[in-house]
Amino acid sequence: MATIASANQSSAATPLEYFSRMVDHCYDAAEAAKSQGRPLVGIMCEFTPREIILAAGALPVCLCGGSAGTIAAAEQYLPANLCPLIKSTFGYHVSGSNPFLKWADLIVGETTCDGKKKMFELLAADRPVYVLELPQKAEDPDAMENWVREVRKFKEHLETRFRVRITEARLQEACRLMNRERELRRQLAGLMAADAPSLTGRELLEFKSLISGLEPDLEQYAQALEWLGQRRAPRGTTASAPTPVRVLLTGVPLAHGAERVLDLIEGCGGLVVCMENCTGLKPILEDVALDQEPDPVRAIARKYYHLPCSVMTLNQRRLETLRELAARFRPQCLIELVWQACLTYDVESWRVRKLAEELRLPYLKITTDYSPADSARIAGRVEALFETVR
Amino acid sequence: MISAGIDAGSRSLKVALFDSERRQILGCGLADQGLEQERLAADLLERVCREARLDRAAVRGIVATGYGRNAIRFADTTITEITCHARGAHHLAPEVRALIEIGGQDSKFMALEEGGRVRDFAMNDRCAAGSGRFLEVVAGRLGVGLERLGELSLNSRKAALISSMCVVFAETEIIGLLAEGVPAEEIAAGVQKAIAQRVAVLAGRSIKRPIGFTGGVALQSGMVRALEEALACAVQVLPQPQYTGALGAAILAAGRSREM
Repeated sequence: MATIASANQSSAATPLEYFSRMVDHCYDAAEAAKSQGRPLVGIMCEFTPREIILAAGALPVCLCGGSAGTIAAAEQYLPANLCPLIKSTFGYHVSGSNPFLKWADLIVGETTCDGKKKMFELLAADRPVYVLELPQKAEDPDAMENWVREVRKFKEHLETRFRVRITEARLQEACRLMNRERELRRQLAGLMAADAPSLTGRELLEFKSLISGLEPDLEQYAQALEWLGQRRAPRGTTASAPTPVRVLLTGVPLAHGAERVLDLIEGCGGLVVCMENCTGLKPILEDVALDQEPDPVRAIARKYYHLPCSVMTLNQRRLETLRELAARFRPQCLIELVWQACLTYDVESWRVRKLAEELRLPYLKITTDYSPADSARIAGRVEALFETVR
Repeated sequence: MISAGIDAGSRSLKVALFDSERRQILGCGLADQGLEQERLAADLLERVCREARLDRAAVRGIVATGYGRNAIRFADTTITEITCHARGAHHLAPEVRALIEIGGQDSKFMALEEGGRVRDFAMNDRCAAGSGRFLEVVAGRLGVGLERLGELSLNSRKAALISSMCVVFAETEIIGLLAEGVPAEEIAAGVQKAIAQRVAVLAGRSIKRPIGFTGGVALQSGMVRALEEALACAVQVLPQPQYTGALGAAILAAGRSREM
């Protein structure tokens, strides 16, 4: 799907163009951090509290792999029937082709799924890895307390490893920074609630960064809001092009480089008005509520604890979130993306399908990996789905 | 008004002509799929027109469907097989609420609303093991034609267990069964059973009735029985099941032209 040229053909780079060079900016930021002695901490899950990393004076960088190109290298070590995100991430390690992964002073592993958990063991053979244990029973009263302890242990680990003291003031500062970033990105995502949004879902996905909390990024988010407020709704190239079908996309994250299914959906005449996944709204729906919790570690833990991840049982919150997002973004159908061998999302899809039936939203589940081999088949299904909507 | 539907399937091209005033099918035809899909489709359309004693120029609207639909550039538009099969089935049997289509390289299940709209659908297109291609491979392995494979299955007393999820592995499994001396009849019935069970999984638990069956594989003797056993209910083969998609496309073409 081509990005739509700005109505205003000025020579200054638009915020969209700025984020099209996001990896370069992150590279520069990481290089600058290294030269200043600031550590780089790799993360692979939205549960990892970036605030703690920032408060330790380090830069949190997302290492999730989105490239089909690194999978073959990973399969020398990992089974073929594993989630492509895990394989791609590990493939970057094997091939040494992700500078952020190479430079990372610490890699935080999360027990979000069994595949990742075991991959981290292999990664830990060559790299410093710290594993965060996530709660699994979302509604168990002890789970939150365990998670607070786990977050506190993580803070202490960073203090020891990087020889810093993570004070309350630094934590609060980091929380304010991350809250500001989330608020800006939330507002950008909120633009899609309009009847004729001024951007596509694919464009919205561009507005994110591998490294969080970078001031120039935050400035660009703010500028993007202004720019998009004035921009006309991108439509098909011809006047006769039908109104796009509004899609709520849920399921697995679209790591940088793995946007194929989103492109297919919008290429078939859809408009992804909401992404309820870890690269979309899911991790930015809630902020760290410093005003409600005097202890910042606890406040941070609470924010992350509420993430409706499929690793949780019972993950009722995801269904509630989907219900709210459907009311707000008014999709005409629900598409669920599941990466091959992602068991938790795959099994949970049954409950999502039931919810879609209840909400009277046509539902389509797409199970795939990073290879483009099934693109034509996926497009066919998406087209058929849209025909049932129109 | 006369409209045409072209179903550019994975194994064959199908054409149907439809008279929208009289709500009648004027002609149908089939040709093997090939490299020059568009030319083959154009030739087939000419042939079907000739056989129906119609001038090709009298055909007003053309809709292409099937895997190769985008290659048929002379069509006015394209619509997916899902919508076309549902529309064709609704014309032939308006009472049908669930539709099973087994074609050359995939199988589909569609839940239909009153009026023939698709409420939900599922497709098995990851592997040819649930499709006509599987039957072809097995017929070849057993050294019989496709028609004879169906007849064989009718004569079987029980069905051999074929569990492989992939045509290539299933073929290996069949070689093993033959080596063990399992009769060809049982293998033929086993293959049909395996396909039917796969389709039943696709259809899910809350399948509504009556169930219609279309696609080229519906012509195979024994397949209906295998499906009925897998689904534990009656299944109705729609008339000329290999043309349902082309017919639906022709009907939709007529509807489109009226709107314009």
